[in-house]
Amino acid sequence: MSRFRGLVLVAILVISSVVVLAIPEFSVLGFSRGGDGPVGLRLGLDLEGGTHLVYKVVSEEGLDPPTEDDMEGLRNIIDRRVNEFGVSEASVQLLGGGIDSVADRVLVQIPGQTGAAITLAFAADTVSPEELERFFRENLARSDASVKQNDSGSLTVQLDEIQGEISDINGNVVTESEADGWREAVIAEYPVALQVGYGIVELDPPAEGDDTAADPEEPGIETLPTLGEIEAAFASVGRDDASIEAVSGADGLFSITLHGLDTRSTDSEGNPIFGEDQQLIAALRDIGNLQFNAMQGSLMQWAVGGGVQEAKNLIGTTAKLEFRYRECGDVDGPSPDAPWPPNGMTMDQWLVERCTNPVYFQERPTTIDPADLDDAFPDISGGGIPRPIVTLVFNDEGGDAFFKETDDVSRHNDRLAIYLDGEELVAPGVSQGGISGGRAIIEGGDFTTESVRTIAIQLRSGALPRGLELIQERNVDAVLGKESLQKSLIAGGVGMIILLIFMISYYKIPGLVASIALIAYSIMLLGIFKMIPVTLTLSGAAAVILSLGFAVDANVLIAERTKEELRSGRSLLAAITAGFDRAWPSIRDGNVSTIIVAIVLFWFGDRFSTSVMQGFALTLAIGVLLSMFTAFFASRLLLRLIAISRIGNNTNLFVPVRDQKEQSESASGGNS
Amino acid sequence: MDIVGKRRFFLSASIVLVALSAVILGTTGLNLGIDFTSGTTVTFQFQGGDPGSADVTDALIRSGHPEAIVQGLGENQYFIRTDFLGNDGLINVRGEIEQLQLEPVIVLDTSTVGSSVAEDTVQNAITAVIVAAVFVMLYIMYAFRAVPNSYKYAFAAVVALGHDVIIVLGAFAVLGIAIGAQVNAIFIVGILTVIGYSVNDTIVIFDRIRENVTLAPGRDFRSTVNLSINESVTRSLGTSITTVTVIVAMLLFGGASLRDFLIVLLAGVLIGTYSSIFVAAQVLVLWDKRSFLPWRRVVTTNT
Repeated sequence: MSRFRGLVLVAILVISSVVVLAIPEFSVLGFSRGGDGPVGLRLGLDLEGGTHLVYKVVSEEGLDPPTEDDMEGLRNIIDRRVNEFGVSEASVQLLGGGIDSVADRVLVQIPGQTGAAITLAFAADTVSPEELERFFRENLARSDASVKQNDSGSLTVQLDEIQGEISDINGNVVTESEADGWREAVIAEYPVALQVGYGIVELDPPAEGDDTAADPEEPGIETLPTLGEIEAAFASVGRDDASIEAVSGADGLFSITLHGLDTRSTDSEGNPIFGEDQQLIAALRDIGNLQFNAMQGSLMQWAVGGGVQEAKNLIGTTAKLEFRYRECGDVDGPSPDAPWPPNGMTMDQWLVERCTNPVYFQERPTTIDPADLDDAFPDISGGGIPRPIVTLVFNDEGGDAFFKETDDVSRHNDRLAIYLDGEELVAPGVSQGGISGGRAIIEGGDFTTESVRTIAIQLRSGALPRGLELIQERNVDAVLGKESLQKSLIAGGVGMIILLIFMISYYKIPGLVASIALIAYSIMLLGIFKMIPVTLTLSGAAAVILSLGFAVDANVLIAERTKEELRSGRSLLAAITAGFDRAWPSIRDGNVSTIIVAIVLFWFGDRFSTSVMQGFALTLAIGVLLSMFTAFFASRLLLRLIAISRIGNNTNLFVPVRDQKEQSESASGGNS
Repeated sequence: MDIVGKRRFFLSASIVLVALSAVILGTTGLNLGIDFTSGTTVTFQFQGGDPGSADVTDALIRSGHPEAIVQGLGENQYFIRTDFLGNDGLINVRGEIEQLQLEPVIVLDTSTVGSSVAEDTVQNAITAVIVAAVFVMLYIMYAFRAVPNSYKYAFAAVVALGHDVIIVLGAFAVLGIAIGAQVNAIFIVGILTVIGYSVNDTIVIFDRIRENVTLAPGRDFRSTVNLSINESVTRSLGTSITTVTVIVAMLLFGGASLRDFLIVLLAGVLIGTYSSIFVAAQVLVLWDKRSFLPWRRVVTTNT
């Protein structure tokens, strides 16, 4: 049966396609496909509807109102961002304006409503996904929540939608974002367990000259702090609610449980602040020689994103990149006599603080112009633990400036701070001289693969000339109308059934084979669309209809040729083989020409602001390739298989109706 | 069936159709739809329940705006995009929409709206199609290298392609005059589909000619073409009948939003099938015994 190996291949492909389509949504090793559409297919705005977002240009004092060119530029940047994000077939239009005024709003319609997600992590992963899911469903009344654990241990809460911040026309916040409230609730719900251990400082006799060792001016440091002192330390940062126990049998070891520890390191405006955890540790450090502390269960990460949420982040931000030179506090004191480092810090602490605490450093603008950025793309860092990074590529001018500044930074042991929309992304030091070659990487502590992608797209598409605020967000129906589309779908289905009936009743066995091949073809096509994934839109559907037409044509050609070969007196099997061989060149040439057309259209489609042509071309190319594949393996081999079975004894079943009549007429004519 | 013998009739009919289409396209042209032009958006809310988007679309058609795009926003609200509406236009549209229900309709927002597809898309699409045609010609020359003068096949296929596109565009221009059909992004897709179909269908006929020329090189080219057409006519009918069945079913029983697109497809399939037999193959025959280059005519008429 090795001759029919191709059929087995087709069968495997069809079965795997059925499986792929049967599971609406799946995720294996970070590879996730599927969604809310029928059988998990992604549908475009024209077929399914999506999210309707209206942004308004923020009027800023001292700035002229945007010109027509500003707005056109704005539209193009948003269009590019949305498309690069992989949301194909989005629509971006300017709203407002008239004969003597300029548009001031942007309408963005994004297909699909893939929902929103919150990614969060607890220190030491103390909360199980089941626990958190129950909390969201029961305590926060979000029955749509589903929680899964990521490879890194963080948890992702998938939700249908998150109500964002709502502002009125004047920009005043009417309702806070839903997610902010949940964050508070999660912090309050899950206890944080803290273990701290103190040690007695032993004065090393030979280390007398070492000034970093125990300072005789701080009394009581040699003794272990008491429970009362620990409690006082907690009360000093306003956390007298903590329950503190001395661990019995181990001196200087305390176990503390408290609810609602806020570890945020930036305030609501994005300025760096000390989180409650840092304040606590500092207070605990003050009362003794803190040797270790271990914290479990504190909320370490909280990122709202995913689906529409992520797209909204992407569209709305100005994405103004800024490189600032950070002059850190001096390593050595101003004079040998003055106490240094300041404020009683140890040298180790100072080396960190001098560049991270805004009290100690100063910043000034650099000569690096973000306009000199040629490209930006998401990447994975090399080295031990791969981390998501953004790689920046400068043009010559930018590369020179970058070299000059990093060289300066390196020589003065300072930092180069990189800001996006006024928020510090990262402020690295440079260890070995200036960085040449015009390439830079940004590696941030809280970067995720999703966020580096967003940042890269924003940097690549350029900064928006004006700030935007979201003033309206709604779900919107399909452009082509839900009811109208349903009717068309049913009509198309009826048309297909008529087509199959016609094929079977006219071409008989070859018609049946063609019908089976067509069904297999359709299933495989949908499976491929889901796996790539292709966003199916009307233009894609048109390409599917066309390639379906080609698939029908291939089968008709094979059937007709087989009939001719039978008429010329060959045996059935030989006729099928010869029929296929005769039909194949025209199937091949016709389809290859179509693929050429598809490639050229795709190539040109790239230059458009619209993906209409690309969607069509991509779907057409996939459809036509698959149609050739099905004709070659399914139709040909299935016909041969039936021919060598018992059905093959009745040659008449392989000849179309009309020609049978001719044959019988000529036969009866011959008898008379 | 002697089709080649009547080639002058078919070719003349095609030339007339192409000329008529060119005249219509040159004079009235195509109506650029709201995908390419700026227009007006209106957001309104029904107070007496949701009438359904089909009824809203019908009301807009009655108010003289068949081009309108209607999208529901939930909560009985609708977002529509139409051609530019002045004050009178808005009153007119609102009047028709209010006929749907006893309760008044609240207009929440009106605004002008820019194009959703860049205007140079049409220009780019034309360039893309021309480039695609050149590559297809090169491929046909390669695929038909076994037969003499394979460039003639390539050229004839592209003639048929141009013929199909111009006539479909012309037919759509007529529809534009008759029922206000507009060129939107969807229409470009329709034309691209027609191009794919036309090229494929022509090649199937040419393949048969290629085969017969190779099988019997001594036979008169004209009879070879005629034989090939007769041999493949059942296949041509079989394929186009099946395709047309699906399109007609969708046109008759499907929703209104795809109507213009399906009309383009239907016209394209019919003309594409016709042109493969009655134009592409006939151009080959016409070209066989003569040259289009004047200085070679003397030589060819002698043979």
